[in-house]
Amino acid sequence: MTVSQPRQRPYWVALVGPLGLYLVVFLVIPFINIIVLSFYTHSPTRIWTTELTIANYIDLMDASFMTVLLRTLRLGGVCTVICVLFGYPLAYFLARASRRTALIGLFFLVMPLMVSAVIRTFGWLVILGRNGLVNSAITAFGLERLGLLYNETAVVIGLANVFLPFMVLPLMASIERINPALEEAARNLGASWLQTFYRVILPLSRAGLISGCLLVYSAAISAFVVPMLMGGARVRVIGRQIYDPLLISYSWPNASAIATLLVIATTCFAFAVLALMRRSARQEQGT
Amino acid sequence: MNRQMPALLKPFVLLTYVLLLAPLVIVVAISFGTSPNYQFPPTQLSLKWYRAFFANPEFVRAFFSVSLVLGLLSAVVATLLGTAAAIGLVRFRFKGREVLEAFFLAPLFIPEILFGAALYLSYARLGIKPSMTSLLFGHIVVCAPFVIRNVTAGLVGLDPRLEEAAVSLGANRVQAFLKIAVPLIQSSIISGFIFAFIISFSDINLALFIAGPNSTTLPVYIFNLLLFEGDPSVAAASTLQILVVGLLIWLVQYLFRPRTLL
Repeated sequence: MTVSQPRQRPYWVALVGPLGLYLVVFLVIPFINIIVLSFYTHSPTRIWTTELTIANYIDLMDASFMTVLLRTLRLGGVCTVICVLFGYPLAYFLARASRRTALIGLFFLVMPLMVSAVIRTFGWLVILGRNGLVNSAITAFGLERLGLLYNETAVVIGLANVFLPFMVLPLMASIERINPALEEAARNLGASWLQTFYRVILPLSRAGLISGCLLVYSAAISAFVVPMLMGGARVRVIGRQIYDPLLISYSWPNASAIATLLVIATTCFAFAVLALMRRSARQEQGT
Repeated sequence: MNRQMPALLKPFVLLTYVLLLAPLVIVVAISFGTSPNYQFPPTQLSLKWYRAFFANPEFVRAFFSVSLVLGLLSAVVATLLGTAAAIGLVRFRFKGREVLEAFFLAPLFIPEILFGAALYLSYARLGIKPSMTSLLFGHIVVCAPFVIRNVTAGLVGLDPRLEEAAVSLGANRVQAFLKIAVPLIQSSIISGFIFAFIISFSDINLALFIAGPNSTTLPVYIFNLLLFEGDPSVAAASTLQILVVGLLIWLVQYLFRPRTLL
C-alpha cells in the first residue's frame, strides 16, 4: 500500500505536525490543567489556591455523591442493555440488507445521531410531557395524567434513543465481516435461528458488540443534556455534578476532581475500543 | 440471504426506526401547527412559528451569525489539519504511527462534557473570556477526527498503481500525489468537511461550557428555551436544524456512498 520508499525524508512531520501541535495545545494541556486543578485547594474567595491537597477527592467519598455516582453508572448500564437489545437486530438487518436498503437505513440511523441531542430530547419532552402525546391519549380515555418525565425511566428512554447509533454502527461493521455462508451452514445443519445467532453471529461479532457497549456506556455516563431536560432536579447525574460547580458555584477544584475520575474511566474505555478495533482490522487483513 | 431472516426481524427493525425517528417527526410536525402548547398532531397547519422564529433577532443571530459561521470555520480548519494528518498517517511509515493515529482519533472517545469542562477551566485560568473564537478552537478538536476518518478511508481505497504509473511516466511523487490521488479522494475530503460542519453545527456540550454571551449557538439557545418552556418557534428552529443536517448527510451518501459513517 505504501507508495513512499523506506529511506524517505521525514516529510510526515510536516503533515501530522500541525494537527499534533494543535491537539497538544487545545486538548492535552487543558486535561493536564484539570488534573492539576483537582489537587489545588478550594478557596471561597479566590476560587483556588495552589496549595496541593487530596481533599477534593476525599470530599467525593460522601453519601450524596456516591448516590449520584451509582445512579449514573446504573442508568448507563440499563441504557447499554437496551441499546444491545434494539441494536443487534437493527445492525444485523443493515449488515445483511441489500445495498440500497442499507443506504436508506444508514441515512435514518445517522441523521438522528447528527442532529443535536437537544432536538431529539425536545421530541421526547413533547411525547412524555404533562400535556404530551401519551398523556393526551390517556386523558382521552378518562384516566388520570401520569408524571412520565423527571424520573429515571424517562432519562433511560432519552439516553438509549440518543446513543443507539453508537451501538449499531460498530456492530454492523462486525456482522458485515461474517461470511453469510457460515450462517447458512449452521441453518442447513439444523440449527434454529436463535442457535445460529447464539453460536455463530454473537461470537463472531463480539468485537463490535464490546466496542458498541463501551461507546454507549461512556457516552451515557457522561451525558448532561438528556438528564438535565428529561430528569430535571430529581435525577442528578455526574454530568450535572461537573457542570454546576463549574458554572454556578465556582468550586472548580471539586469539579476538576470529578472530571479527572471520569477522564480516567473513559480513557480506559477508549483504549479498550481502539485495541478491539485494531485487532478486528488485523483479523480482516489476515483472512 | 433474506430467507434466513426470522419473520419478526423486519417488524422489530421498523419499530426501532419508529422509536428512533419519532422525536424528530414530532418536532417537525408541531413546528407547522398553530397551537402554542406543542400539540401533536397539529389540528391546523401554518407557518406561524417560522415567522416567529425569523422575527426573533436572537434566534436568527444564533442560527445564521453564530452556528452557521462557526460550523463553516471549524470545518475549514479541521479539513486542512485533518487532511494533512490523514495523508501523513496513510502514506508514511514511521515509529509511533499507530499511537499518533489513536491520539488524533481520541476526541471521538472523550466525552464532550469533559472536554468542555477542561477547556472552560483552561480559558478561565488564562483569563480568556468565552467567545466565538474560544468555541471555534474547541470545535476544531472534535471535528478533525471525522475528517481523518473519511480521508483515511479514501486513501486506503486508492489503487497505488495509478500513482506508480504517473511516476513511471516521469512525474515525481508529489506531483503524482497531487495530480492523481487528490482528485480521486476529493469526495472523501468533501465528506469529511461536511461531517466536520455537522459536528460543530449540532454541538451542545462544548458550547454550554465555552460559548460566551454573544456567541450563543442555536442548540444552546434551544436548550435554554426548553428549560424555560418556550413556544413552538423552538420547534421551527429545530426543524431548520434537522433540514440542514439531513440534507448534508444525504449529500455525503450521494457523494461517497460509504457503508460506515462513524
